[in-house]
Amino acid sequence: MNQGRVLYHLVVADFLERVRRYNFLVTLAAAVYLGYACYAGKVVIRLDEYRGVYNSAWLGCLMTLIATVFLSLIGFYIVKNSIQRDEETRVGQILATTPMTKTFYTLAKTISNFAVLAAMVAVMAVAAVAMQWMKGEVAHIDWWQLLSPFVLFALPAMAFTGALAVLFETLPVLRSGMGNVIYFFVWTALLSAPIGILDKAGPVNREAYFADFTGIVSVMGQMQQDLRRIDPGYKNGTALMIGDTQTSKRFLWNGLRGNSALYLSRVTCVLAALAIALLAAVFFHRFDPAREWVPRKRPAEVAANGERAIVATTSAAPSERHLTPLVRGPERGSFPRVVAAELRLMLKGHRWWWYVVAAGLFVASLFAPLSATHQGIAIVAAIWPVLVWSQMGTREKRWETSALIFSSERALWRQLPAVWLAGVIVAAITNGGLGIRLAVASDLSGLAAWTACILFIPSLALALGIWSGTSKTFEGVYTAWWYLGVANHLPGLDFLGTTSESVRPALYLGLAVLLVVAAFFGRRTQMAYA
Amino acid sequence: MKLTIQRVSKQYRGGVQALRDFTLDLRPGVLGLLGPNGAGKTTLMSILATITRASEGSVTWNDTDVAKDPDALRTVLGYLPQDFGVYPNLNAVEFLEYLAAVKGLDAAAAKRRIDELLNLVNLADVRKRPLGGYSGGMKQRIGIAQALLNDPQLLIVDEPTAGLDPEERVRFRNLLSELSGERIIILSTHIVSDIEATATDIALISQGMLVVHARPEELLRRVEGKVWEGVFSSSDLSEVKKKYVISGTSRRSDGVHVRLVTGAIPTAAQPLAPTLEDAYLYCLAEHRAGAAA
Repeated sequence: MNQGRVLYHLVVADFLERVRRYNFLVTLAAAVYLGYACYAGKVVIRLDEYRGVYNSAWLGCLMTLIATVFLSLIGFYIVKNSIQRDEETRVGQILATTPMTKTFYTLAKTISNFAVLAAMVAVMAVAAVAMQWMKGEVAHIDWWQLLSPFVLFALPAMAFTGALAVLFETLPVLRSGMGNVIYFFVWTALLSAPIGILDKAGPVNREAYFADFTGIVSVMGQMQQDLRRIDPGYKNGTALMIGDTQTSKRFLWNGLRGNSALYLSRVTCVLAALAIALLAAVFFHRFDPAREWVPRKRPAEVAANGERAIVATTSAAPSERHLTPLVRGPERGSFPRVVAAELRLMLKGHRWWWYVVAAGLFVASLFAPLSATHQGIAIVAAIWPVLVWSQMGTREKRWETSALIFSSERALWRQLPAVWLAGVIVAAITNGGLGIRLAVASDLSGLAAWTACILFIPSLALALGIWSGTSKTFEGVYTAWWYLGVANHLPGLDFLGTTSESVRPALYLGLAVLLVVAAFFGRRTQMAYA
Repeated sequence: MKLTIQRVSKQYRGGVQALRDFTLDLRPGVLGLLGPNGAGKTTLMSILATITRASEGSVTWNDTDVAKDPDALRTVLGYLPQDFGVYPNLNAVEFLEYLAAVKGLDAAAAKRRIDELLNLVNLADVRKRPLGGYSGGMKQRIGIAQALLNDPQLLIVDEPTAGLDPEERVRFRNLLSELSGERIIILSTHIVSDIEATATDIALISQGMLVVHARPEELLRRVEGKVWEGVFSSSDLSEVKKKYVISGTSRRSDGVHVRLVTGAIPTAAQPLAPTLEDAYLYCLAEHRAGAAA
């Protein structure tokens, strides 16, 4: 069989396995919703008080940018599981015994990731056509203007995102939940990189094209340039906006003007994706457990474990051992013990420095000036245990223990609340310094915000974990929420209440309650009998 | 102590019928559940373990409907699923302590029980080692230990000896025999020798239906005088396979020695003492013939 056919079958099998999963339908529905949000005017490109007339050129670019910006973030989390799935299904071990090379495998996974993301882009492209027809501002559909931005920007951006997902999966630390958190910051950096290079008063410069993997600056820079010609009073304001989208003026935009820098930058984006896929092959462990990264242990510990292993496997002939009947004590079923067990499970397995930093944050928030605690230490403390919380509600599925847990007595009424309470305790401890300070200062509104925060975070983790079945959802959503709301004090999204303007304790207490209820019903549907 | 399965059916999404009108009454002892792949054994065990809900019918534990009060059964249930995982960062003691807490055992009783169980499954020496480093057989032994944590009255074990070495398999069989006195044990396996060694009753299941429920001796009686050994040439073998139920073959210098299970007396064949495997194959073939007719 020639290499091309092997590659084709690898990609097709992987693609079909993914698109036949329920969560692919959910992501397609999300893509459709983005199209609808655009139609409903909830997402617009705004240039000061202007927006473009909804002709093919404007809609094609608008939908393309929505696709590249959102799918390069959400899509990453969607496709960052292709190697993991081969591991979990043990298909990887079969593949590893074939002549397939590592490069071939990472390339196939990149193409498969791209295919999944491209399917979503295709949905957005169809939505763009439908939107022009339904909006009816310009009846004539210019197919080139409408669809070429998808080919020029969205597809290379999806190739880049798909390749990054494969690279993250092959790198020891980045393949874990830590990688999901880190990607958010990588994505933010990639998105903002061309903005710094852009010449705000002139045409889009060559460097900005090359630094712009989503195409947002390339497209909007050309829009700005054209609007400046029409309205010299235009103040260069530009944004891809969600929510507050009212615009008072419209202008006719005739579409992108191709130039060598633009085309070359898009080809470079695809080549970069290819290079990343090849780089991933260097780190790919080819399903060899001996090459998988595990935390280094002290030599003594390794030796001791080795000896124990020998002891365990060289037992003498089977000897009879008997079980004495279990005598149950009076305190049977005590809830605090389940909470303690869940807490231990949550906190086990981290490296020593994780605990040191957590303890450091606690101590620092206790002794630093209150303003520094509120504006800095507490913000870090709110993100530090993200990987602890993200396991909530997903652990049973991830480690295949649901049959053991769900067949236990009162699993819904005892184990689930214990998981939640353990998450609250983690939040209360890591952010405990701030809580103590607020209590000592009798800052009741601050204390209310703090309480809402420590109840909200684990509630969000538990609900997202149970309903999505993966820790990635919380890791992505929470990191973005934390970045916008807590780190940048965005009113409405600041669940920690870092400033007096952004504090919303009632909102987050209410959300916490709703999320706990959602988690409860989610778990109830997972169990045959509640 | 009794477990009653009354006309239980299970249909999965997509129309796959895993169980049909399954009825069984169980009392203390070891029930060996035998059946070919896809017969519905794991589905039945999931329903009994309160993991899966039956589409029709009922399961009652001491006359309490499990669908209405699952905790009545869960309190006394030990379950070892066919596929299960462990938390890799916990060691054996921590993992069992965790499950003991979830099962509602008090701390002191749990501690004693865990010590005893780890000795029983021969993992006491590696009790402090993270489970992530355990071999498949060691994980299986942890599974056995967790199933026995709460001293269950109903113990459901699905392929419990898969991955165990011969020594551990013998140890587990002996353990099941020892435990069987005052509890109901349901043992599902493909390894007929496991059933031979431990089962007081056998339920044969095929295509989601109960084919036969009998004591091992009764099953053996069914094939008494129906097991033969004949010697055939290699070229005749395919014809023999079409004609008879074959429970074993071995090639020797004078031809292929074939173990046949049949009601008709084959020419030039010697009678043999039946085994449970013969009985299993015979009952299954009869059921299939009946279903085809």
